[in-house]
Amino acid sequence: MRTNLTVLGIGVVFGFAFSASGFNQYNVIHRMLSLQIAGPYLVMASAVLIAMPTLWYLERRHWVTPLGGEMRLRRWSPERKHVLGGIVFGLGWAVTGACPGTIPTALAGGCLLAIVPAIGVLAGIFLHDGIVEHTSQRDPAAGSEVWSEA
Amino acid sequence: MFHALALPLPWFIAGPLMGLSVVAMYAAGNKHLGICGSFVQFADAARSRPLETWRFWFLGGILGGAALVTLLAGYPQAGINYGTLSRNLPLNALIPFLFVGGVLIGAGARWAGACTSGHGITGCSTRSTGSMVAIATFMVTAVAATLALNAVSGGAV
Repeated sequence: MRTNLTVLGIGVVFGFAFSASGFNQYNVIHRMLSLQIAGPYLVMASAVLIAMPTLWYLERRHWVTPLGGEMRLRRWSPERKHVLGGIVFGLGWAVTGACPGTIPTALAGGCLLAIVPAIGVLAGIFLHDGIVEHTSQRDPAAGSEVWSEA
Repeated sequence: MFHALALPLPWFIAGPLMGLSVVAMYAAGNKHLGICGSFVQFADAARSRPLETWRFWFLGGILGGAALVTLLAGYPQAGINYGTLSRNLPLNALIPFLFVGGVLIGAGARWAGACTSGHGITGCSTRSTGSMVAIATFMVTAVAATLALNAVSGGAV
């Protein structure tokens, strides 16, 4: 329960900064992806610029978290799926100006049409998993595990 | 109408707040911040797979933070409004357009393992090279597709 409440609090801060940057507005994302405004890129870059060295430092100190044991940063080696999945994702991002973060934050603002890409994302997850489970020998549960860490 | 908060919040405030959220998630609970994981929870709930409860709480927080911004600053997309896209496309074209886009987002994020937050912000911060490849691909594809759509549609989409 302590973990859940902590995560809830961090979610409020993240959701606030995210929405206050205008990321839950189609016009902002569209102008970002049309290279008309730099603000959203600066938000993302400065977030990484703060988090990367801090996490690096905590990792070197073998930081023990109060709620989840010793801190272990998750990393993935580049694979084909990062590029292929990335292309599919990028196309969806371009046409809708939405990503999994913009959808709930748009809904929270009262954007009724955001329900449509929300249903689409769920359909996309089922579509992907259905294809993987029917075409490869891979254990579908293994895919879930990879995802659950990201 | 009076608004207590002017948007957008300057990037040098919003960005560090998001960066500190990423740090706090790892430092407090050893968790990799990402939003698409919450969508997977709904999918997994529907097919009776084991759930990670904390992701629902995190999503609840995101909704709360976004609602707070709406309260303080208003929100231009309330109601049946999707910015310039809903001005340029009739509803019967917009809805399938948004649905197909959503499918691409869901399938692509699932395939790539994470989305703009999980790979783009958190993955880059953990120095995950796969995440850096993923976010670079997201960006290049989305910018190229947006510019191409813009050109083909005469700026409509």
